Amino acid sequence: MPRYLLGRIGQAVLVLWVAYTVTFVLLQALPGDAVLIKFQGGDINLTPDQLEQVRQTYGADESVLQQYFQSLGRLVTGNLGYSVQHGVPVTKLLAANLPSTVALTALGFVLAVVIAVAVAFLSSLSPFAWLRRLLQAVPALFISVPTFWLGITLIQIFSFKLRLVPVIGGTAAQSLVLPVITLAVPISAPLAQVLIRSIDAVSLQPFVPVLRAKGAGPNWILWRHVGKNALLPALTIAGVLFGELIAGAVVTETVFGRTGIGVLTQDAVNNQDVAVLQAIVLLSALVYVVVNLIVDLLHPLLDPRLSQKVVLAA
Amino acid sequence: MSRLTLAGAVATAAAAALLLGGCSAASSSSSSSTNASAKPVVGGTLVYLEQQAHTNLYPPSGGFYPNGGILNQITDKLTYQDPKSLKIEPWIAKSWTTDTTDTEYDFTLRSGVTFSDGTPLDAAAVAKNFDTYGLGNTALSQPVSEVFNNYDHSQVVSPTEVKFFFKKPSPGFLQGTSVIGSGLVSLSTLAKNFNDLGSATNIIGSGPFVVSKESLGKEVDLTVRKDYKWAPESSSNQGRAYLDGIKFIVEPEDSVRIGSLLSGQGDYIRQVQAYDEKQVTSQGYSVVAKATNGVNDSITFHPQNALVADVKVRQALLHATNTKQIVETIFSKNYPQATGVLAHTAKGYVNLSSELKYDPSQSKKLLDAAGWKLGSDGVRQKDGQELAFDIYESLPQPQNKQVLQLVAQQWAKVGVKLTVKAGDAGSATTDNLDSSKTALAVTEVGRADEDVLKSQFYPKNRNGLLQAGGTATDATFTDPKLNDLLDAETTETDPAKRVTDTQDASTYLVDQAYTIPLFEEPQVFAGASYVKGVAFEAVGRPSFSTTWLAKH
Repeated sequence: MPRYLLGRIGQAVLVLWVAYTVTFVLLQALPGDAVLIKFQGGDINLTPDQLEQVRQTYGADESVLQQYFQSLGRLVTGNLGYSVQHGVPVTKLLAANLPSTVALTALGFVLAVVIAVAVAFLSSLSPFAWLRRLLQAVPALFISVPTFWLGITLIQIFSFKLRLVPVIGGTAAQSLVLPVITLAVPISAPLAQVLIRSIDAVSLQPFVPVLRAKGAGPNWILWRHVGKNALLPALTIAGVLFGELIAGAVVTETVFGRTGIGVLTQDAVNNQDVAVLQAIVLLSALVYVVVNLIVDLLHPLLDPRLSQKVVLAA
Repeated sequence: MSRLTLAGAVATAAAAALLLGGCSAASSSSSSSTNASAKPVVGGTLVYLEQQAHTNLYPPSGGFYPNGGILNQITDKLTYQDPKSLKIEPWIAKSWTTDTTDTEYDFTLRSGVTFSDGTPLDAAAVAKNFDTYGLGNTALSQPVSEVFNNYDHSQVVSPTEVKFFFKKPSPGFLQGTSVIGSGLVSLSTLAKNFNDLGSATNIIGSGPFVVSKESLGKEVDLTVRKDYKWAPESSSNQGRAYLDGIKFIVEPEDSVRIGSLLSGQGDYIRQVQAYDEKQVTSQGYSVVAKATNGVNDSITFHPQNALVADVKVRQALLHATNTKQIVETIFSKNYPQATGVLAHTAKGYVNLSSELKYDPSQSKKLLDAAGWKLGSDGVRQKDGQELAFDIYESLPQPQNKQVLQLVAQQWAKVGVKLTVKAGDAGSATTDNLDSSKTALAVTEVGRADEDVLKSQFYPKNRNGLLQAGGTATDATFTDPKLNDLLDAETTETDPAKRVTDTQDASTYLVDQAYTIPLFEEPQVFAGASYVKGVAFEAVGRPSFSTTWLAKH
């Protein structure tokens, strides 16, 4: 097991290095650079000579290869560099933006799961066909709702008309309510869809009539037996939704004027703020790697058949 | 050396109270200016909603409105420009003299002014500020300021007297000391690397407010400086600001900013689109539009590009552009149709509306004469080439995409194709510097001095025409006549002659059809009726030292 772990960590470092290098190459290939965007035609307008001076102070005048090794060297020592656009260290930008995105996406995801489970279970428990059909149409509706429209509509109704939660100047909890709903609705749709389908599929399996014959009620069967089995495909989908969460966060953060990794990324892309982008790519790669590592380590615990492979591999 | 004393007379002449709307150059509503009988109330916090987060707060970056909005509250300037008369009045400088050639300026400072960290704002501090803005500080990555031309060095004569020396006559310097980009900051701020000046808390000024808290990208909280007592003489408030504090909160979404104002969550907001103005005013809130007193929102040509090298083609496109329709369709009365290269409230303005007439038949004649014949698809052609252009949308300009799309429709009527591109900032910036890729670009600069014209068109400055010798590295095109006119203006020491020089340069720009002025770009704010006494500097950035909140 320790050897397996070491191997996996080695792999992870390799993945991070590749992600960093590929981003570096791609960003170098773009026309223009952060210095040009910031200092030419922007808020400070410099002559070519002055631009060159600024590039020197950022080390942006050296060869691409030198820049690459320098930034890699800095990275190893934990120095992520400076944002050209914002004039602050990248670590400070991340510290200012990461917590609010983590809170938003984590709560958004939890709420999405709650909505999905509620919709799916209610639709299979409902005694009325019309209600069942209505609930089954919910995922299609939810996924068609544009995030920005939903956000603005929620703000208009709950903040501006009913004045239940302020958008400006509320507490941390208040400021999360509407964004979390906005983010959760579209994320819940594919989850609910998969759950409904797999509940239907599992319900057709032979063990269900057996349980029914033994006298189990529909609630009991759904919660204790069908639900458990039906959750597995939904969990698989949930893993894939990470990307959607981040994409949704960009729009949600913009509409609600929240800080976060989403708007930070958008801003860094617009301004080719290389140091910031590098840090964000590295961070996302790290999250993926860690999540995958945890999932791979958990698999054998959930499914004993897999642990034998691990033993063999180790 | 004969010396002129400028300060005293100007100050008394322009003593019109700031509060009484002395700033309402293009104000559409005056309810944000207080009525004179009401007595200001001390206390309260103003919630100000901004469209974008501030970037680096190194004072010369104050041209970016979100930066300027904050810097204007926390820094003072050496001189004060009356927003209406555009005259320069004393502020931190009590008085000043210049030599006849405007190569040497001698400022006498108020004593007893301190930065919020307790250090004195004396001659040494002023000298260090201007040395940095005039020459840059490479060791700390601090770039030079756009507003200073020909700066040489400073000399501290005494704690209250400082001199500045220039390599060439620099009559624009005096106004340059009043702009947002010349805000005075403490020595400790200037000792920091440029890369640390994006933190508002690192900017130590002597202004009526102090940064007390910052949540990066989201909110900047300002607190009143209780011992403030060095406002410009013409200000109605000579003591501390009436407000206890200001919260600058970033809310990028237009509808949310307006909704927050209308539902009482915000008190004052920046950037109200023309189509939203009615919604705001119909509910009893005021819309305040401030002229930016500079070069109009325009489409400017890169004459090196073969398609627009012929003056006839440029003139044809100028006459094919219906600016009246643009203003009436897309904007409101707060966006005056352009009648010259500069805004009608700007210094050195000359009315060129007869040269800027919309005349499609004239336009067609000019294009025919230039050899561009209508092709079968309705687009003019010459030697197998189409008269078709690409132009990048300019994000800072109001509704720029809609404006350009309307221009494209107007040009289509005379057989010219215009494609509006929304590229990434990198492509837009590099392509707009390359006349082989772009024949035209959107331009605008706000600064209430004749020098603004040079800022926009001189090769070494913004180089609007992409002439040789400036930012465009492959450029060969040059117009010595234009450059001479601009040079003459910036080094002319006789103020009256400076105005006529600027007018000559404007007239020449339109004669050559180098630029198509569209409209005068305002800054549009909206506020609740209980917000009183909001003032604006000459380019439309708010100043809250005289602002107070009435009972509500």
